[in-house]
Amino acid sequence: MKSIRDAFGERLAEQGKINEKIVLISADLKVATKSNIFYENFPNRSFEVGIAEANAIGIAAGLGLSKYKPVLSSFSAFLIGKNVEIRTSIAYNNSPVVLIGTHGGFIGPDGATQSGIQDISIMRSMPRFKVFQPSTPILTANILDHCLEIDQPTYIRISRNVVPELYDENFFFVEGDPIIIQEFKDMCFFSSGPMVHNCCKASEILKNNHNINLGVIDFPSIKPINENKIIEIFKNTKIVFTVEDHMKEGGIGSALCEILSKYNLDTKVYIIGLNDFVSSGTPEELEKKYMLDPNSLSDFVLKTLNDRIFS
Amino acid sequence: MTRYNIDKVLLHNVSISLRIKTLEAIYRAQSGHIGSSLSMSEILACLFFKIMKYDKGNENNDKFILSKGHGVPILYAVYQELGWISMDELLTLRKINSKLQGHPDMTIFKYFDAGTGALGQGISIAIGYALAFKLDNKTSNVFCVIGDGEMQEGQIWEAAMYIGSKKIDNICVIIDNNKFQNERSVKETLDFYPVKNKWESFGWDCIDINGHSVDEIISAFNIFKSNNKPTVIIANTIKGSGVDFMENKSEWHSKNLDKSNYEKAIKQLESKYIK
Repeated sequence: MKSIRDAFGERLAEQGKINEKIVLISADLKVATKSNIFYENFPNRSFEVGIAEANAIGIAAGLGLSKYKPVLSSFSAFLIGKNVEIRTSIAYNNSPVVLIGTHGGFIGPDGATQSGIQDISIMRSMPRFKVFQPSTPILTANILDHCLEIDQPTYIRISRNVVPELYDENFFFVEGDPIIIQEFKDMCFFSSGPMVHNCCKASEILKNNHNINLGVIDFPSIKPINENKIIEIFKNTKIVFTVEDHMKEGGIGSALCEILSKYNLDTKVYIIGLNDFVSSGTPEELEKKYMLDPNSLSDFVLKTLNDRIFS
Repeated sequence: MTRYNIDKVLLHNVSISLRIKTLEAIYRAQSGHIGSSLSMSEILACLFFKIMKYDKGNENNDKFILSKGHGVPILYAVYQELGWISMDELLTLRKINSKLQGHPDMTIFKYFDAGTGALGQGISIAIGYALAFKLDNKTSNVFCVIGDGEMQEGQIWEAAMYIGSKKIDNICVIIDNNKFQNERSVKETLDFYPVKNKWESFGWDCIDINGHSVDEIISAFNIFKSNNKPTVIIANTIKGSGVDFMENKSEWHSKNLDKSNYEKAIKQLESKYIK
């Protein structure tokens, strides 16, 4: 068990040894976003700008245009809140910056202002950006490596949750591909980031207690998406429950619906996500409050299936 | 005479030529920011024809960022004057499929060092370039022109604070202090004067000059080059400079240029060449 942000921080520092073009820009949140390991190891390639995200974004853009590979990490709520700066300085100039947005979803007692709940929606619509969200430490390292290699702006949503590993050490991340974690016949969960683990647990509950088979799909490559893989997976899928610790509008549920609609697939989609800001509490309490813990998810599935039978 | 040895009379004439070409392009486009372009004429003439290390295709060039991206018509005129684009291309300004977009787009106009347009962001990008020069042990400089109204953007002060605190000495910020912004004068919109002590309090050396005097512009840039502190040049300019009926008139920020005004303006400007 390891947190996704720890996996990010450790990998970034490892990559720093290999690739001298990697530079870090931080805005007084190095320890919280785990970029402090790189900062301590490579002080000459690290730039702390203070609590000034807009300036940080512009500096990163300029370094990216100078053939460096800038990594800028901060809370996603603060970083992705700077829409016009990301849009003009990074995206419009196609500067190959890696933006790391941490503290999405259920972050704990710090409450609503610190929790990123719109970042996927905003960054999906950002021209030229690729958008990723890893669910496990190995996937985190894979995705970071990928973003450091490509010559294009990227956004990675990194959660602070401690999670078990789902992939083996030889796993190789392929941009665009959804990953089937648990096989299924005609119903599945579709999720990304730490919520994938809640889906796995909900699936277990449904199987063990109700003999219902629901598969789980991990969706780390939010943009771009390999549409052929989506068609292949969903052509025989009757019902999908999309699960995200993010506003329902514009998140992964929306992304999936756009493709299903484009190819006239008649899979029924239930989008499970947030409708409002996330308050203070422990992450476990918050998952329950906002109905995204394993029991709430399995209850939602049971109720939905029941309603469908009797409707 | 090489470009860098250009004399002051020729620089003056370049600034007049830039104004004429800017108006030709804007007249043809029937769209574009006139006043904000004309006020930068002498500054750009001095930078591109005298001060900056700036040769086509040279990786060690200085960098130039027009943070006030709406003033781009005169920057396109600079590239025409340098001979890097044709007059025909200059006259495609703001037209469909043109490389000469309404605001700078570096992904299609390859000579730009930054695309800008949403105000306040250019100095931060300049910092990125400046830090990269330091990492690469290059002695190149970054020049960034901002508008005076643009100083109302908070990011300008985030960048000013960073540069001042880190004592970055390879960025020169030039304020095109033409005293007007989109709708009205800066003073009527949000009076933030005096400007000089604000920059100085962030650790900058501040040089106050007449932004239409080639002599004063060159000596200010020479101070910057020998300075080891952050340097900002407050270039006091006239919005719409060079055409009497456009000068200090906020409506000429982006007013439509009709045939009669265009011809009058060109006639006035042509009379200003020094023979």
